[in-house]
Amino acid sequence: MTIAVEEKSLSVLAELYPDVPRSIILKLDLQRRGIAFTEATAEATSEPYYRGPDQTAFSGKDPNHRPFPGPLLLRDGTTVIASPIPNQFENPYTIDYVDGRFRILDDGRFIDEVDFSPRPEFYGKTTSRGVPMESIAWSRPQRLDIYPYRYCHYWDTKDQCKFCAFFTDIKQQKQLAGDAYAKVVDPEDIYETVREALKEPGRYSQINLTAGTDYSGDIPFEKEVGRYIEVLQAIGRNFATRRFPSQLIAPAYTKRQVKRLYDETGLSSYCPDIEVWDRELFKWICSGKEKWFGRDYWIRSALHAVEVFGKGNVYTNFVAGVEFARPHGFTSIEQALDSNFEACEFFAKNGVVYLSLVWTPWKGTGLGGQKQPPLEYYVRLVRGLVEIRRNYGLSSANDDFKHCGNHGDSDLERLN
Amino acid sequence: MAQLPEELLQLLRDPSSGKVVGTIDEDGTPHLVTKGSLTSLDGETIVFAEGFEGTQSNRNLVRSIWYDRRVSINVTKGFVSYQLKGRPYQYLITGSVFRTMIDRAREKRGPKADIAGVWVIVPEEIRNESPEHRAAEEAGRRGHSSNHLDVLKAAE
Repeated sequence: MTIAVEEKSLSVLAELYPDVPRSIILKLDLQRRGIAFTEATAEATSEPYYRGPDQTAFSGKDPNHRPFPGPLLLRDGTTVIASPIPNQFENPYTIDYVDGRFRILDDGRFIDEVDFSPRPEFYGKTTSRGVPMESIAWSRPQRLDIYPYRYCHYWDTKDQCKFCAFFTDIKQQKQLAGDAYAKVVDPEDIYETVREALKEPGRYSQINLTAGTDYSGDIPFEKEVGRYIEVLQAIGRNFATRRFPSQLIAPAYTKRQVKRLYDETGLSSYCPDIEVWDRELFKWICSGKEKWFGRDYWIRSALHAVEVFGKGNVYTNFVAGVEFARPHGFTSIEQALDSNFEACEFFAKNGVVYLSLVWTPWKGTGLGGQKQPPLEYYVRLVRGLVEIRRNYGLSSANDDFKHCGNHGDSDLERLN
Repeated sequence: MAQLPEELLQLLRDPSSGKVVGTIDEDGTPHLVTKGSLTSLDGETIVFAEGFEGTQSNRNLVRSIWYDRRVSINVTKGFVSYQLKGRPYQYLITGSVFRTMIDRAREKRGPKADIAGVWVIVPEEIRNESPEHRAAEEAGRRGHSSNHLDVLKAAE
């Protein structure tokens, strides 16, 4: 990618775009440039108050891996998904620990204070079948993440999304399943883990499900839909209400499959990710999704889902920045903004929230090591997306600053 | 951060004190709400629970932390009253302080009581607004020129 745009710093951009708070620009840049822990931070976050799970979906099988404490928490409550995986980033921010407080440093310069959420009380416990609960569900500050199927079949035909590091062994560039993780998680283990997690007062306000793609079944994806229904029903036994705050990030399904998910479970929101809007880039970057069954099908599925889940309860994420990936990506900022604003407008008009997340070119992925667009692109992008959605009366409560940690645009909606 | 005066701390920690938080709307209009949960846990900062993300008060507080604006707090019991001005320093959605505040909310309002988050305010100005204190302060500055004469008259 050759983008003839000067790299502007966080402070310059905060002055240029006063309607975007500094903390959101900081979040975008933390995700864009990545983070690195000092030894003091690694030690402090390994202590019982913060200690994370032994492995996450993105940590690979690195024997030197130390548990990550989960997303960063900026002072305004903004959650930032960022992993301090060594040797991945060229110029990461440093997270240091001094005098009992965590701080963000940029080239030694103090940027702000930061924190992590505490270790949830269910970590360290096991289900009645002896399965460690921290291998079943992972904690974000206000969200419980569950991955019921830990293998993506797009990889079988080398059709994985080119940016994807999900359950990827970064060194061996292959999918992890079976050895480090059980491939299929038992719904009863999920039920018990959620039950235990809910004992902690005020700890969670949403449950999120996602997994690797499994297109098998007499009707494609039928097996996967059945699995999600079983899991959601098991989770639902923990609640007194019919519906519970939840989101399923999953492939595009037929309207009948989406309706089954809504009718047979307490799921409240559905998110088939389009990943990249441009037709040709979608084909190239998401060849698995193109095979099963192409961009138009994915778009149609999201639109049909609005008829089932209602306006504003269907989302589709895109990997902001991947539209610049070499050799086929955009070469100008304006081209990329136009494309994404067109997508946002189209989806918003149809009741779907088109949400951005910052592309990390993980080295183990098909686009590993490529350069991301400048920070200013992300700032302009999130402003534009929020403005479009506001015009259509849409907001992103399911994916806001406290529930996800990936979306600078939904963070901006706190004043709406 | 400095330790808050003892009298103010007692007032902040007294559940029967009246506690009001003042913020500014986008158009500059003051917005006042009572905050029964307002207290100081560490003796240096003020904390209070916010019930919902979407309240006017909460949006004003988000605007304040984003754009570095101050908020006002008044705590009063009987004739003892303090006004504080400060800046929102943190909005907590998890962690030990959040847990303390949600536990308190549930002790007070029952097991279904909920909070969205906890604001931490760093005081920058503290003003004793108790009538006796204000009267002494005013007298020191302006003598008796602002008193009504009947207040100054000799006992009959």
